[in-house]
Amino acid sequence: MNRGGAQLLAVVRILLSLVWLGSRPGWAADVGTDELARGRALYRDLCVRCHGETGEAVQGKTREPIRGDESLSRLTRIIHKTMPDDDPSRCVDDDAARVAGYIYHEFYAPDSRLRRQTARIELMHLTARQFERSVADLVGSFTGGLKLDGRRGLPGEYYSSHNYSRGSRAFERTDPVIAFDFGEATPDADQIKTNEFAMRWRGSVIAPGTGDYEFAVISQNGFRLWVNDPEEPLIDGWVNSGSEATEHRATLRLLGGRAYPLRLECFKFKDKTASIRLVWRPPHGVSEVVPERCLSPAYGSPTFVIATPLPPDDSSVGYARGTLVSQAWDEAITFAAIETANYVVGHVDQLAGTKPDAEDRPAKLRAFASAFTGRAFRRPLAVEEESLILNRQFDGAADPVNAVKRSVLLTLKSPHFLYPGLQVSPDEPHAVAARLALTLWDSLPDRALQQAAERGQLKTGEQVADQALRMLGDRRAREKLQGFLHHWLQVDRIESLAKDGTLFPGFDDAVIANLRTSLDLFLEETVWRGDSDYRRLLLADHLLLNARLAKFYGLEWSGGAGFETVALDAEHRAGVITHPYLLAAFAYPRSTSPIHRGVFLTRNIVGRALNPPPMAVAFNDADFDPHMTMREKVAELTRPDACQTCHSIINPLGFSLEHFDAVGRFRTLDNDRPVNAIGDYETLSGRTIRLTRARDVAEYAIASPEAQDAFVEQLFHHAVKQPLQAYGTDTADRLREEFRRSEFNIRKLLVNIAVIAALPPSNAQAIPDNAP
Amino acid sequence: MNAIHRRAFLQRFGLSAASLPFLVGLPSLGLAAPARPRQRLVILFSPNGTIPPSFWPDATGEEFELKEILQPLAPFQDRLLVLNGVCNKVRGDGDNHMRGMSCLLTAIELLPGNIQGGSDTPAGWASGISIDQEIRNFLQSRDETRTRFGSLEFGVGVTDRADPWTRMSYAGSNQPVAPVSDPYQMYRRLYGQMRDREQLGSILDDVREDLRKARGLVSPEDRRMLEEHEALVRRMEEEIASTGRQELQVAPPTFEPGVADQNDNVPRLSRMQIDLLVNSFVNDMARVATLQYTKSVGQARMNWLGINDNHHTLSHEPDNNEDAIGKLVKINTWFAGELAHLLKRLEETPEPGGEGSLLDNTLVVWTNELGKGNSHTLNDIPFVLAGGGFGFRMGRSLKLDRVPHNRLHLALAHAMGHRLETFGTPKLCEGGPLDLG
Repeated sequence: MNRGGAQLLAVVRILLSLVWLGSRPGWAADVGTDELARGRALYRDLCVRCHGETGEAVQGKTREPIRGDESLSRLTRIIHKTMPDDDPSRCVDDDAARVAGYIYHEFYAPDSRLRRQTARIELMHLTARQFERSVADLVGSFTGGLKLDGRRGLPGEYYSSHNYSRGSRAFERTDPVIAFDFGEATPDADQIKTNEFAMRWRGSVIAPGTGDYEFAVISQNGFRLWVNDPEEPLIDGWVNSGSEATEHRATLRLLGGRAYPLRLECFKFKDKTASIRLVWRPPHGVSEVVPERCLSPAYGSPTFVIATPLPPDDSSVGYARGTLVSQAWDEAITFAAIETANYVVGHVDQLAGTKPDAEDRPAKLRAFASAFTGRAFRRPLAVEEESLILNRQFDGAADPVNAVKRSVLLTLKSPHFLYPGLQVSPDEPHAVAARLALTLWDSLPDRALQQAAERGQLKTGEQVADQALRMLGDRRAREKLQGFLHHWLQVDRIESLAKDGTLFPGFDDAVIANLRTSLDLFLEETVWRGDSDYRRLLLADHLLLNARLAKFYGLEWSGGAGFETVALDAEHRAGVITHPYLLAAFAYPRSTSPIHRGVFLTRNIVGRALNPPPMAVAFNDADFDPHMTMREKVAELTRPDACQTCHSIINPLGFSLEHFDAVGRFRTLDNDRPVNAIGDYETLSGRTIRLTRARDVAEYAIASPEAQDAFVEQLFHHAVKQPLQAYGTDTADRLREEFRRSEFNIRKLLVNIAVIAALPPSNAQAIPDNAP
Repeated sequence: MNAIHRRAFLQRFGLSAASLPFLVGLPSLGLAAPARPRQRLVILFSPNGTIPPSFWPDATGEEFELKEILQPLAPFQDRLLVLNGVCNKVRGDGDNHMRGMSCLLTAIELLPGNIQGGSDTPAGWASGISIDQEIRNFLQSRDETRTRFGSLEFGVGVTDRADPWTRMSYAGSNQPVAPVSDPYQMYRRLYGQMRDREQLGSILDDVREDLRKARGLVSPEDRRMLEEHEALVRRMEEEIASTGRQELQVAPPTFEPGVADQNDNVPRLSRMQIDLLVNSFVNDMARVATLQYTKSVGQARMNWLGINDNHHTLSHEPDNNEDAIGKLVKINTWFAGELAHLLKRLEETPEPGGEGSLLDNTLVVWTNELGKGNSHTLNDIPFVLAGGGFGFRMGRSLKLDRVPHNRLHLALAHAMGHRLETFGTPKLCEGGPLDLG
């Protein structure tokens, strides 16, 4: 799935080194122009050879560009001590301060001249996620859709005949899951005899995440299963040769956060016994009975999901954006366009609301093609576009279906679909709608949003916020935010949580899959119920557990089959920081890893920047005295001064979680010695905070502006896929201020972000500055 | 089709993102004369038994007269082998329609199961591979006879129900192979990529124009990306133009759009499927094909013959119901006419890269799941072989002595170079392949 996770966990290797780290100063010290000029001269003389004119790094000389968020004073100290690296004595004291000042003001500080210039709203193509979802919603906008409500489970009709014959319907009921072993008996002895009966369940299945779902039906009888295609069964086991239970499997790619129509039929006829189980293996999951929370009585139209794999997007700036135009990308979107066109042709009468023999079919097909292109372009078509994409295909075409296919291909290959920022006029209401839909859904505007645009109701911040609030109620917004939380917590980079089986017996794939669900349910509950308070993500003292997890973690279980809230020791548990899924993810197969945990806390929870380390040191457990604790080993390994630049920050954070072993269980002993979780963490302003346990990190983070600001910035980048700086430093400050004022309401933050991204960018920021 | 299958399909046939091999799997050009003549097999099925007095020739040997039902085959009489006395002797679970159908080409018992017929015990799918698939696998196992698909399963008016009455081809025990009844679907399978490529090629010029215009809407920094994109479109255009010069031996047939898969369209659907079948042979996409008209217990209503009754219902009428018998003769004669059309198309098509016609190198077997509709007998199944004989002496009518049809399947396999010892139920193979030379 992803490569980062493998590097992080599968390889028993830590990268330790001198890295740039530090603060996010929101100020710039006053430095005289003279000093700046002398700094420039020194930089040119001593530094430019390796670091380049603007610190961009010269190939073959140095690996990392000069980027980060050190304070000016620490920058000065580092230069004083280490630079230039062939002779650090050549640039010390005042000279080091002058060089640091020059670097800082020119291109290092967040609001430095160069960074201000480079931050701009760039033209980008749809990311892979955006492309998939836009195509699904584009096709889906011509069908009825599927409206989910709060009900769960699957309604079933039970018949006393094997062939659903008229008058043989015995009763209806909603089953929470499909897992029945009737043996030689019947679903209801009063109404149904044992010799023959039949069931038909109809509703939908909700995909929690995006990926391949393997469905299976296990039955001793005859059955058929339809998923996301009411015509063609996904699995046809109607003929059951032999009385053994048979198992049929089939795989389907589904987009997360959406519901897909599902129908299951099963009949018994003269078979001795009857049984049926509806099972799936979701992405990151194990084979299990499809749980009640993923089944719904709602029924509706299918969703078109492209099967063509799209290449991953460029994520070099920390979030995925559509800046890479490669041959692989062009080919993939071409094949996806062909795939979509073929699907459209296969369902063309249904989509266009006509019939094969209808007289007005050609007119209907043309109207469909026109609407398809308009929705794909997110605006009314210009006259010349009508001419290119429609007239040219339809006029004189022998077969209007062929014309539909060509116009669909042309539409999906058009830059006006692929580059949503490509607008004749960016403050046009349809452009506002397009940006809003991308920010909140990674998709196209829906009908209501289009109408708001047409009626001129997307002009003011309030109007846009109203729409954003409405759109937040759609499951697509949940899925998008879930995607961000996964990114923030690095869940999207985790590949394997497998642990040593002798040290951690019972920590199997099922426990790991359930832990992931536990984390997802916690995130969902915290963000979407009640006050959506960011601080609760870090402070909550409960977990959502099911019977299996409760057993593994040695807790009393009195609940049912699903997940339930279990209150834990408020002294030690601290929301996501101590969620066992993450504790296990940032750990080795045989032991904890305070470094992985520390880096995660540094970057993601307390919000400080760490650049990739320029030199690698391997952690080899066998190198250490076997009586040492993990803390002692890490302290020993990172003792050199070069390491301490960063590890003086990373280690105390990592050590604070040492009360939790490699599978997230609370412990008081490590290697038979008492756990020492105490550490002194030095904040950006130089204050020292004593940490004694995980909760101290959470309490520090929720009160720390850096942590809050980092959260705001990361959400902005994930949602908008443009640099926050391009919207003006005022904007960033305003967002942060609003976040604090709203008591850290995440949903409100997302609405504010969506409004900023959707409204026409202020001209000063939008016009690219070409000055050197 | 589900995602994995679709993905596997996309990869197998080249629609992967890694490259643009639109031609993968399409036959190469300028076929040299093959070292050995190609051998092809077609099995054509029509249901519900025949009307024996109007079907079986009275005489045996080379001098025989065709009865009414076989009259449409008169132009090919010297290339026919009419085989009376071939019996489906497979017993076990399932009624005669089920066994007649699912044991017809497998010649082996059905698995016990949950499907109840009109009589007898319930049953499941057949417990073995069918002869068409067996021969297909044999041909696919050798470089010189391997083709893109190996076999193609055509249907005409088969319902979309999957049960032992609707399936005669089996990839193995418990693995029925579904025939494709929709000629457009078969067309897409055979030529979809090619059409996609053509259509894509025809729009790329417009896409490039679109990109070129879009450049004017963006800043100089953003322009670079659109230029790169444009270059990629140009490159794809060139690749399509250069591969487009490679062509098939013959172009795919042109179909009128929108012939729905429904009863009244059966005559048109039949001709479309026959066109595709012949076309796929010329382009050497497969060496084995089945063509299944409706299904066992099929209820086609042949309005186009002025018959408004359902086929299977009619087939239950007693011998003294002259009206029904007359209609059934007409129905069976119509099937013979479709066979004759297939033979004619094969005969008028030259063998690519070789001598003679396609028919010289193709053996067509016409069969049925029953001998006679109203008795449901599995004896004297109407077997007619036609075309290139592969060593069989054609132009004859034979009366065999109640031989199990396993032995006919063995003879077919041997004629195509696949020297099987037994096929289907072993004890029904005693005596080995039928000697038809």
